[in-house]
This record gives sequence, structure tokens and C-alpha cells, in this order.
Amino acid sequence: MPKRRDILAIVLIVLPWTLLITVWHQSTIAPLLAVHKDDGGDSRRDLAQGSDSKEYCLSDRDIVEVVRTEYVYTRPPPWSDTLPTIHIITPTYSRPVQKAELTRLANTLLHVPNLHWILVEDSQRRTPLVTRLLRDTGLNYTHLNVETPRNYKLRGDMRDPRIPRGTMQRNLALRWLRETFNKNSSQSGIVYFADDDNTYSLELFEEMRTTRKVSVWPVAFVGGLRYESPKVNAAGKVYGWKTVFDPHRPFAIDMAGFAVNLRLILQRSQAYFKLRGVKGGYQESSLLRELVTLNDLEPKAANCTKILVWHTRTEKPVLVNEGKKGFTDPNIEI
Amino acid sequence: MKVKLKNVFVIYFLVSVIGLMYALLQLGQPCDCSQHLRSASDLMHGKDKKISQLLSEVKRLQARGKDSELEGQALPVIYAITPTYARLVQKAELVRISQTFLHVKNFHWIVVEDSPVKTQLVSELLAQSGLRFTHLHTETPKEHKLKESDPNWLKPRGVEQRNLALQWLRENRELSEEGVVYFADDDNTYSLRLFDEIRSTKRVSVWPVGLVGGLRFERPLVEKGRVVGFYTAWKPNRPFPMDMAGFAIALQLLLANREAQFDMLAERGYLESSLLQSLVSIEELEPRADNCTKVLVWHTRSEKPKMKQEELLQKQGLGSDPSIEV
Repeated sequence: MPKRRDILAIVLIVLPWTLLITVWHQSTIAPLLAVHKDDGGDSRRDLAQGSDSKEYCLSDRDIVEVVRTEYVYTRPPPWSDTLPTIHIITPTYSRPVQKAELTRLANTLLHVPNLHWILVEDSQRRTPLVTRLLRDTGLNYTHLNVETPRNYKLRGDMRDPRIPRGTMQRNLALRWLRETFNKNSSQSGIVYFADDDNTYSLELFEEMRTTRKVSVWPVAFVGGLRYESPKVNAAGKVYGWKTVFDPHRPFAIDMAGFAVNLRLILQRSQAYFKLRGVKGGYQESSLLRELVTLNDLEPKAANCTKILVWHTRTEKPVLVNEGKKGFTDPNIEI
Repeated sequence: MKVKLKNVFVIYFLVSVIGLMYALLQLGQPCDCSQHLRSASDLMHGKDKKISQLLSEVKRLQARGKDSELEGQALPVIYAITPTYARLVQKAELVRISQTFLHVKNFHWIVVEDSPVKTQLVSELLAQSGLRFTHLHTETPKEHKLKESDPNWLKPRGVEQRNLALQWLRENRELSEEGVVYFADDDNTYSLRLFDEIRSTKRVSVWPVGLVGGLRFERPLVEKGRVVGFYTAWKPNRPFPMDMAGFAIALQLLLANREAQFDMLAERGYLESSLLQSLVSIEELEPRADNCTKVLVWHTRSEKPKMKQEELLQKQGLGSDPSIEV
């Protein structure tokens, strides 16, 4: 039977501690005491401010969110400080459907934030048609030009068939990027080669934005197939190419099927598309083999199972009636 | 002194009581509070000012939003009627034009499939497009359908589909609603300026079309703001020698003339005339695009993609995965 004296002793021991613990639980006192151990009253004031400002910060954020959702849609979208820039390199040349192709490509690009369009004409001089078009779109652009040498031996205005179309223009754009951007700058960017007659979904541009070295995805209507695609294993690595035409190429992929991180372009400053002596279908490999190995490729588009770009081609318009009976009016631009 | 347990207890009790008193005193410190309160109130004032600034910013943007909303309400709706049919490039074509249409204010896309059912491809595409749309379908009767080997001009295309869209408009729109109807085929190319020209249509407006009729462009000839003839080399004696992409009709005109529609049996090239001749005369046409001197729409056509390797593979039973939509 515990003696009353013992009980009293236990109560007297436990009582102060219980009182102290109940007081400790109040949040105000615990930090106050903790701070007071380190510093004087100043830090305690700061801490009080800190807890207050937290509440005010929340209300700031609420109001800022409201303002953001009220934003009116602008064309092109406002520049973001956090998104990497996508540099689109498009070679183009003069032909009847040129303005139509560039118009509809521009309509697509106008939806993509942080986009820089590098349009390279295959011409001796920058043409007024393209100059005006670029200016009227409102896009962020760079207008370049370089003429592929003509083969004068052939009759008519035939380009040198040994140089694949668009090569010199793409190389000029790569050179421009290397001259414009410092190798050591922290500016993030992605480089994509977009021909003016293909069709691009808006999702594609967001997929390529996360490219670290070189990313790849399927392309529809190339190689005589519904689509060509990289082969991706269970570990998410590219190990081959699902194509019929020469699947043993180092990179059996179409120009529209890959994007390169700008840093890689700047680091490997001698990597260009090979101008001459390139077998059909090996153009892309001639550049990629100097930039990356198969193992480094990043598959996009849900591990290369979605089609986000189509290699469409536009029919050459039939202009049989031009020139007949006075039917020609060069003043009206098409 | 002998260390008695009782003494230990007493000392312990005293120390803990002192500690407790000390903590309670800390809690009850009044002097620092005034400073703390002053700085806190300074902070509150600063935040209050910021809040009022942001609130006025919100009001301003809301007002601007309302203005453009009002503008938007006053803007006539452009109804683009697009007949479409399943083929390899269908998805690419629809994706491409939807990207153009996404820039146009007060736009309503009426897509009519040449199909007995609404296909999943088109349904999903429309749902993800971000556009206001109506999805219809009707199958062209077999005798009027083109065969694979037929040239594309042999039979008129999209007639039933366009007529169904006109019927939908007549059943779902009132005369009081302002709108303009435009026939936008899925392989053409449209500049954004074209839609500004379309929107101002009072009865039937016209403009040049590029890359059509064997010419760089076809266009109405305009004198003193009126259409007096047509610059076209192919069958120029048609009542309206124009392409489908070269005109737009005010919705009210179509609602007032409920019988006007495209004639399935019209001779090649007379499809446009079969609709327009019951709606308007040449004198009433409204020329747009700088008196019909600017090309704002092109009659582009896409090549049929080569499927030689695909066909070879399919013969061997190794065709590409059909669940991957192209």
C-alpha cells in the first residue's frame, strides 16, 4: 500500500513537468524560447515577422494567380523566362506554293512559346516575298540566305544534284547559331530542322523542349511506310530503327524526327551536314554521328508510340493556263 | 551534509519550479511587444498597398477583357464548313488547318465526315483542338462516290456533306444571329487576313484564290467597287466561275433561302454556281481583299504518300501497328 508521503513526492515531481510540457506545446513559446537561447529580442521580432509575412505571402500569391488567369491570348505567346528556346531551322526555295507553305507553317508556329524561326532561303538575295511574310507574322525570326550552286551544264535552272536540297541552308543556320551564341553561355535552347511542307502537331514542340542531347520520335509517311520509328527497349533506350529502307544506317531517321540541344551544337562546333558524297538517306546520319551515339538518344512521344509529325508533301500545282491568251499577271503575289 | 533522498527531492522540486516560473515569465514579457507590433503593422501597411495595387490591376484587366468580350459579342461568327473523308493524310490535314483556325475569333468549325458513323480519329481530334465545333457525318451514296482509280474531278465531292451542314445551320440558327458561312476544304491553305475579309460579308463576298484553274490565281474583276467579270481561263462562261474557297455567304441569306443548296448532279465546275445562282446576282457580289488584288487563300493539294514498303510488309503479314494512329 503506497504511503501518502510517497504519493505526495511523486506528484510534486511530476507536476512541474506536466505544467511545463503543456506550456511547451503552445507554438509561440517554443520558438521564442529557442530563439532566445541564441540571440536577443531582435531575432524574436524577425521570427514573428516571418510568421506574419508567410500569411501575407499567401494572399499575394492568390492575387497574382488571379491576374495570370485573366491574361488575354496574344499571338505569338509572351516570352517566358523559364522555357528553353526552340530554334526552328527551315530551308525554303522559291516556287508557286512557297508562300502558301510558309503561311500555314507560320500559323502553326505562332502557337508555340519561346520560338525562334531561322528561315534560310535558297537564293542569291533575300526575296521581298519572304521578307514581308516574316515581318507580317509577328514571329521572332532570323532571315538568312545562301544559294546552292547551279549546275550550269544541265539545261535549265537545275541545282547541283550532288548536293542534297536544303543542306547548305541548314549548315548556314548552324553556323549562324555558333556565331551568335557563346559556347559557355547558360542560355538553354533546342534546335529542330523543320521543312516547310511537313505538318507538325503542337504537342511535338513541347516534347522536344526537354531534350538534353538528342531526342527522337516517329515520323509518318516516310520510307514508303505509314511511319518510321526508332526501336525502344524496355529500359527506354533506342537500340535500332523500325524502317524498311536501309535500317542499318547509323541513324535511320528523317530530318523531322530528331531535335538537338543547342549546347551540343555549340560544343561540337565542327559538326555539319555533309555536302557531297552522301548516299541517299544518310544526310541525317552525317550530322548526328558527330554529335551523339545511339545510346544517348532520348525517345519522346510516349516511348516512340505516338505520331506527332507527318512528312506531308504538297502537289505541284498545274499551271497549264498560265501564259495563254494574256493570262498572266506577275503583279499579284501568290 | 549527508545526501538524503529527501534533500535530493527538495532540490529537484525547487529547480523545476524555478524553471517553470522562468518560462512563464518569458511568456508574459510585455516590453518587446510594442516594437514587434509596430514592425508588424509596417509590414501590414506595405502589403496592403501592394494588395490595392494588384486589385486595381485586376480591375483594369477585367475591364479590358470585358471590352474585347463585347467586341467579341458584336463580331459575327464565322462558320467554316469542312467536308472530310478518311485517307492517309486526313489527320495531318485536319491538324494543320485547326492550327490556323485556332487564331480566329468567334469561329465555329462544322466538320462533316463522309462516313456512316463518326470516326474516333475525327472525334478525338475535334475534342483536343480547342475550337468550337459541330461534328456531323453523312455517307455519299455509292453511285456518286469516286473509286480509287478515278481522277479526283470525275465526280463532285463533298456535296452531300456540305448540304448537311447547311441543313444543320438552318435547323440550329435563328435569323437574328449574325454569322458568315465559308466552305473550307481540309487541304487548302488560309491566311489569317482572309477571315477578317470573310467577317465583313453582308450578302456574298468574293476574293482571289491562288493555284487554281490551271493558273497562278483566279479572281473576280472589279471596277468601281463592283464585280464586272472574272479572270479565269477554265470554263469562264459559268454563272459563277469561282472556286469553293473564293466566296463566303452571310448566314442570314442562307436562312432566308431555305431551299438553296449544292446540286449533286451539277456538271463539272458548276457546283459553286448551283448554290450561288439562287442566292445572289453578279452585281450584288461584294469584292474583298483590296478589290480582289490580294491572294489570301491557296488551293493547295497534298500528295498521296507512297506506301510501297507498307504494302509489301502487309502482304507478308508484317504491316505497321494499326493501333498507332497516323
